[in-house]
Amino acid sequence: MIRGDHETPAAARVGSMGSAHSSSGAAALERLRGVGSDPLAELAAIKERTGLMAVGYFDSYLPEELIMAHGLAPYRITVSGREDVRSSEFIQGYACPAARDLLEQSLRGDLALLDGVLFTRYCDSLRGVFAVWDSEKLSPFVDLVRYPTVVDTPGAVTYLAKELQEVSDRMARALDAPLDERTLLDSIVACDRKRALVAELAARRASRELPLSGADYLAVLVAATTMLPDDFTATLSTLLEHPPAGEPGDAVPVVLSGTTFDNIALATAIEAAGLYVAADDLSSGSRWYGVRVGASLATGAAGAQVGDEEKSAGTFTDPWEALAYAYLSRPPCSVKEPSWPRADHLVSMVRASRAEGVVFYLTKYCDSEQVEWPFLRDRLEREGIPVVMVEGDQKGEGSGALSTRLEAFREQFELGGELS
Amino acid sequence: MSTGIDRPLTKRLEATRSLRSLIKGYYEELFRAADEGRPSAWLNVGVPCEFFYAMDIFPFYPENYGAACGALKITPQLSAVAEAHGFSADLCSYVRATLGTVFSGEGPYGELPKPTLQVSSMNSCIMIMVWWRAVQRHWDVPTFVVDTPLVREQSEGINLDYVESEVRRMVAWIEEQTGRTLDMERLREVVRLSNEGKVLWSEVLDLRRARPCPITAADIFTHMFPMVALRGTPQYVTHLRALRDEIKQRVDEGFAAVEGERYRLLWDNLPPWFDLKLFEDLAGRGVNFVIDTYTQAWGPRYMGPIDEADPVRSFAAYMGAGFLNVQIGRRYDLLAELVRLYDVDGIVFHSDRSCKPFSLVQVELRKRLQEDLGVPGLLLEGDHNDPTLLDRGRAWSQLESFLEMLDARRT
Ligand code: SF4
Ligand code: SF4
Repeated sequence: MIRGDHETPAAARVGSMGSAHSSSGAAALERLRGVGSDPLAELAAIKERTGLMAVGYFDSYLPEELIMAHGLAPYRITVSGREDVRSSEFIQGYACPAARDLLEQSLRGDLALLDGVLFTRYCDSLRGVFAVWDSEKLSPFVDLVRYPTVVDTPGAVTYLAKELQEVSDRMARALDAPLDERTLLDSIVACDRKRALVAELAARRASRELPLSGADYLAVLVAATTMLPDDFTATLSTLLEHPPAGEPGDAVPVVLSGTTFDNIALATAIEAAGLYVAADDLSSGSRWYGVRVGASLATGAAGAQVGDEEKSAGTFTDPWEALAYAYLSRPPCSVKEPSWPRADHLVSMVRASRAEGVVFYLTKYCDSEQVEWPFLRDRLEREGIPVVMVEGDQKGEGSGALSTRLEAFREQFELGGELS
Repeated sequence: MSTGIDRPLTKRLEATRSLRSLIKGYYEELFRAADEGRPSAWLNVGVPCEFFYAMDIFPFYPENYGAACGALKITPQLSAVAEAHGFSADLCSYVRATLGTVFSGEGPYGELPKPTLQVSSMNSCIMIMVWWRAVQRHWDVPTFVVDTPLVREQSEGINLDYVESEVRRMVAWIEEQTGRTLDMERLREVVRLSNEGKVLWSEVLDLRRARPCPITAADIFTHMFPMVALRGTPQYVTHLRALRDEIKQRVDEGFAAVEGERYRLLWDNLPPWFDLKLFEDLAGRGVNFVIDTYTQAWGPRYMGPIDEADPVRSFAAYMGAGFLNVQIGRRYDLLAELVRLYDVDGIVFHSDRSCKPFSLVQVELRKRLQEDLGVPGLLLEGDHNDPTLLDRGRAWSQLESFLEMLDARRT
């Protein structure tokens, strides 16, 4: 591989050196970074501050509004990225490392603050983790949402709406936390608002108006499902209103594609290779922040009659159906059917962010992504978008081999630039 | 499938001969249907073939085909083809073998005909769905997924209503694709035969309780084919009756499939199709696997008789609570029940690298069964279809130590 002797291009840098004007923005960013790097500390602070019970979940198909509607704090359990072997006493090593990481956190006692955990059928590795969790009673309350896999039928919406209510009933009983219909509607508003703000941040990054690094952006994504929504919204609003000064840098802009990706150190390593994560196609990112439940709720909801035609156009009077519809209609993960809109979504993220390529992060033993990869690769090739696949275990800061591969990928653009 | 047939140490079942011709006939029919332009469908084992026989659509089960590739030990070559197309070597070995055939046209039966349609259900694994997806993309074949959300114990209430609506959606979709309609009377006829065979199958499984056990694990795994692919056909009933009669006769005569049966073990998970000889080699040590969990998937605990009065709902209940669609509690109960019924000395948990839904609960099951019932278990690393993933020497020494431990418990 030919390497130039020039410096690695700089990824975007913003933050601590900001002007007085943006100091509140810098403080907001520091707060989000703090939560992103230690979400469990934030959970502890929430519990301490509010006295709320907390219920965790793993995948972003689970509507956190369901948890909030019971006056409980929702907490998306993120991948810690720590090396641990504890899970091997409970599950085989060919369960995906991200799923094992979640189990390890529990076995370490890191998740002792959770009063309950909700699983969905996301993938076969997480399903294995559910079995162990359930059998070992790793949290006081654990339940399975019998979640649909097929996401594009009216039947799935109706069914999921009912299923969420059944889970709600069980959770209310188990945690003595009754459902409050008003809180459900308020939660829908609060969660829509925070997701809309994340979407705004993503759009402003995509246009390079707000050159937040990819690592910081990931910290925001983690914070978005860790902090209580109103707190998060206030903090991110401050950041958006007073963006700290910074330069976009001259790193090669890419879209990061994969499942859930919470490892900020790994994102830093990707950017250290001279790439700039300008946008994402992640389960916990752009495939999630577009969810707008309120948009599916007919105005003056209660008591209003909505016919089948309006339902199929995505309008409901029942908040549960609106929830189900909104979550099922997001750009799909590869564990859902149909999955083809994911490829369109990925391409649109590349175009919208003027990214020059895609980094596809494949988590080892992730079956659905392993099958999706050749399809996405071919599609990107047809679109003339360079892509590199890196396989890893979502641990630490990635390996030397990962950096080498990414640097080689970045050099491809420099060589292309020199040749043209 | 040709495995488990040439075994010098254990006596071959006569029914194996008719099984061979059943399999041959099945594959001939697959190719004939394609030649004659009759519709065929690729299905996973969680999709009942009864609907397809009732609609004269030839049902083909790639998992079964994968096992045939495994038996012939050609999975590694076929896998290499799939890997060259960008598919990971970590995928289920059934998937790699079948995709290898789809991409190369190579395999035990040569090039497989492109099906008219594909149907998969979510009641075993995510892998199935993405496997069909890969085939759909390559061959551009219409594909349908029957949604069967994971349940804890049973499919009931809103879940059963949903799965039933999914089965109805499947039928409507097939009708639209093929221009054929499902005649409920015809379906009932097929269901009648299917139920008849299932009763015979449970009798076969029950007969294995005899001491000494009349057949080996290799026998039963080999004879699974009709349960998977021929349910509801007359030849399936005929074959199962002959099989049941032959095994019953063995029991009546006190025939021991493993001479001097010393250890009665339970096999959990799929077998290594490429190495059914393992069971024979173990027979030489006085081991018989008198029961297993895999064949139970077609047994009365998971696939009871379908209600002829309301077959659609009844199939939905079965699909919704399929063997791999329920949770660890039911697997635990099943294992505990089999240990008791079959008077089992120990359990070998085949930790099948390919099959996460089957395998990823085994460490926990082994621990709990040992703690609760005192039944020892061995976790044996391997794979059901890829010989490169089974370290035979290591497996053998693990098995030896396990048997020694069982001996020590006896003294
Ligand atoms: S990375 Fe893949 S296999 Fe692992 S938890 Fe996520 S979806 Fe499941
Ligand atoms: S993963 Fe298991 S259930 Fe799924 S296709 Fe492979 S062997 Fe069958």
